[in-house]
Amino acid sequence: MFASLTKYRHAFLLGLQSNLVYRANFAVRGFFSLFHLTVVFILWGAAYAGSPSIGGFSFGQTLTYFLVMLVMQFFVGAFNEDYQISEEIRNGLINQFLLKPINYFLYRFSIFVAARLVTGVLILLPLLVAVPLLHDYLTLPHDLWRIALAVPAMALSAVIQFSIAYCFGMLTFWFLDIQGFVILSMAVESILGGQMFPLDLLPAGVFRVAQFLPFYYQTYFPVAILTGRIHDIAVVWQGLGIQLGWVLLLLGLNQILWTRGLRRHTAVGG
Amino acid sequence: MTHYLQIWLASARYSVTRTLMFRFDFFLWATVELLWMSVNLLLISVIYEHTTSIAGWTKYEMLLLVGTSLLVQRFLMGFFWSSIFEMGRNIRSGHFDYFLAQPGNILFMASTRKIDLDGLANSLVAMGVVAYAAHKLGLHPSAWDLLAYALMIVCGLAIHYSMLVLSISLAFWITSAQGMEGIYFTLSEFSRLPREAFKGLASLAFVWLLPVVVVSNAPARTLLHGIEPRWILALVAAASLWLGAAIFVFNRGLKRYSSASS
Repeated sequence: MFASLTKYRHAFLLGLQSNLVYRANFAVRGFFSLFHLTVVFILWGAAYAGSPSIGGFSFGQTLTYFLVMLVMQFFVGAFNEDYQISEEIRNGLINQFLLKPINYFLYRFSIFVAARLVTGVLILLPLLVAVPLLHDYLTLPHDLWRIALAVPAMALSAVIQFSIAYCFGMLTFWFLDIQGFVILSMAVESILGGQMFPLDLLPAGVFRVAQFLPFYYQTYFPVAILTGRIHDIAVVWQGLGIQLGWVLLLLGLNQILWTRGLRRHTAVGG
Repeated sequence: MTHYLQIWLASARYSVTRTLMFRFDFFLWATVELLWMSVNLLLISVIYEHTTSIAGWTKYEMLLLVGTSLLVQRFLMGFFWSSIFEMGRNIRSGHFDYFLAQPGNILFMASTRKIDLDGLANSLVAMGVVAYAAHKLGLHPSAWDLLAYALMIVCGLAIHYSMLVLSISLAFWITSAQGMEGIYFTLSEFSRLPREAFKGLASLAFVWLLPVVVVSNAPARTLLHGIEPRWILALVAAASLWLGAAIFVFNRGLKRYSSASS
């Protein structure tokens, strides 16, 4: 048991190191995010000029939502894991895992967790610049239960994010190029994951359907808990249940794709 | 001039043949772009469910603006994106040598090699969005208005092209930097916002220094309020200036290009 944990601890440490090495890429991404935040600020600022409350929330609350969403993406979002997995399959790098007692999913997941720890902490640095500027607008509820329940929701979100990326990576067994699928799903995720606008602004019927889809639990759910967009603790418990269901479903799907894919996989050379 | 037209037509023919060979790719990428366009339109329609005006622009005015911005972007995607994107990769890998050996202007040869029919197909959708918004607003633009609109779209395309070439040209200096095209996408987000929403520092940066806002606002205003020479002049001037800058920076970068030992 401990021996197997040590294996993945090493993968985790490796992930930490490689992410610290490529911090320049991260800096570029973080810099872009600030621009995105500027767009959000201008667009929603202009929208709020016409009405003091949108969907029952003030401008400050909406801005806080987008800021927390941004941080959440750096903490739990899968970024290029799908491409990395795809590369490893195409280049035959996964062959080594077939011969060793290492679970490929757990190996990649350990690296993913390390990567998110690095990017999650690093994004707080540019935020230190942005927060004084936005300080007057920011407003977070202080209920302790929100933090207590947001933590497991975040952890499950991370698993969902990674599992979806892993699924797309697995598609490499069937398709030469997965980029089209990935960008397609990014569009769906950006809407149904709440990155473009808070999902509760959708018409009630559509919002209800969205709550049963996995995208809702990718980022929106923990952000909504933290920023007070979900008022009722019972709704949070219900959400955690659905989220857990999606985690199990996606983990199962990952396993199926991996075993099915390997049947098609031909390892050539050494 | 006819020499370049012939080269371009040959590239176009090659691109059409390639698309016919990879039909699945065409449909996939056309869907990808369509979906991303819908994301932007959905954002607008959701906001207008809860408010009646964004910086004085009504829902369909805003739709016209976003449609215009998407139209310019689709043209960029269709005519230049693949070639310029690959240019960055080639500069890093040393494969750019191939273009240096070609008989013609290097920037032209490298940036017009591939045409993406999926991007061009979606430009029709963007035109449809603009036409739908114009219809809803009860606009009846004259032939001159439409001509001015078309001219401004071409200028806008030149500006987008220049911004993309400028960001990719960074690869001449920073060979390790990837994802520089992200600069372009981030900046293009601003072009979907109305000019009136920008105040103070943001107005200085995104309206005056970077022409991203003018690119979409100027043509949209022409359809909405008729021809305003001030805006046309501003756009033509910005287009010449940015194209000049892009060509200058690209050529400076080219001098630094040292190929790569494989």
